[in-house]
Amino acid sequence: VNDTTYIVIPAFHEERVIGAIVSELRAAWPRIVVVDDGSSDRTGEAARAAGATVLTHLVNRGQGAALQTGIAYALRRGAEYIVTFDSDGQHRAEDIPLLLEPLRSGAADVALGSRFLGTTEQMPARRRMLLRLAILFTRFASGVHFTDTHNGLRAFTRAAAARIELTMDRMAHASELLDQIVAARLRHVEVPVHVRYSDYSRAKGQRSSGAIRVLLDYVQGRWLR
Amino acid sequence: VAALTNFQIAALTLAACVLVAIAVQRARSRVSTRIALAWATLWIAAAIAVANPDLTRIVANFLGIARGADLVFYLAILGMFIGFFAVHLRLRRFEAELTKIVRELALRAPKEPGSGE
Repeated sequence: VNDTTYIVIPAFHEERVIGAIVSELRAAWPRIVVVDDGSSDRTGEAARAAGATVLTHLVNRGQGAALQTGIAYALRRGAEYIVTFDSDGQHRAEDIPLLLEPLRSGAADVALGSRFLGTTEQMPARRRMLLRLAILFTRFASGVHFTDTHNGLRAFTRAAAARIELTMDRMAHASELLDQIVAARLRHVEVPVHVRYSDYSRAKGQRSSGAIRVLLDYVQGRWLR
Repeated sequence: VAALTNFQIAALTLAACVLVAIAVQRARSRVSTRIALAWATLWIAAAIAVANPDLTRIVANFLGIARGADLVFYLAILGMFIGFFAVHLRLRRFEAELTKIVRELALRAPKEPGSGE
């Protein structure tokens, strides 16, 4: 069964950690797809050496674009389940089966990881506040309540993934994805997961000030196309 | 008719040169008739305003603006905003198209696991 589950990892300048992440996942999941989003370091080589199939964006197009590329690839290869996983070491491999369980039992089409239902390690207070704001924003802008709107750990059935088409290339894709899940009436569940913040993930991750840009991207993507 | 000021001479010469350039570009089919007409209209309007400063003042006064130059200034800023927005929209479309191309290239050349080529 694990043979038809594809783990999609968008990665940009992660040569230091991507190898270890791929190796850890490979122990249980043979199908790892790393989308190297135009990195100028050795992210692609490291991922491939560790056992991932690597898709290369020739130029950086953003996390949303990379996710969509990885999902499209997995669908073409006949994936039954698709899991998205962050490349900075924030997620735990052992949470993946928890996300897949409701999909395999037929209880849901999409499973979304939630750090606020689950647990976090060393999350900065400012980040917690910002994520809470994002949750509130989603409640107003999209009219739905999720406990964690910006968690990169998610799982989709094949049919659900085929209904998703991310067009917001950068970080606003997280909101776009939720909108599409709701619009397509996909059955979704939130699953408690653990998110660990490290010095690396904090340095690599989005700055809080980037939220304004994300918001502008989202608003434009929603009303300008 | 009063003698032209140095500014008027310079501005009208520039407008005349631009109109000739537009005509040449149109003749060589480098721009569509629509675009050429739009640019020509803009520059002819500018030339008229430069030649008769009173004209812009009359229109400005009608709108409740004291000086003709202020009216031209406001219109220029408005025009620039519209221009920026048009460029912005085009850029967004370009970006979406670029992503499609980059994605397709990535999908056509998956690198299977393993080291080396």
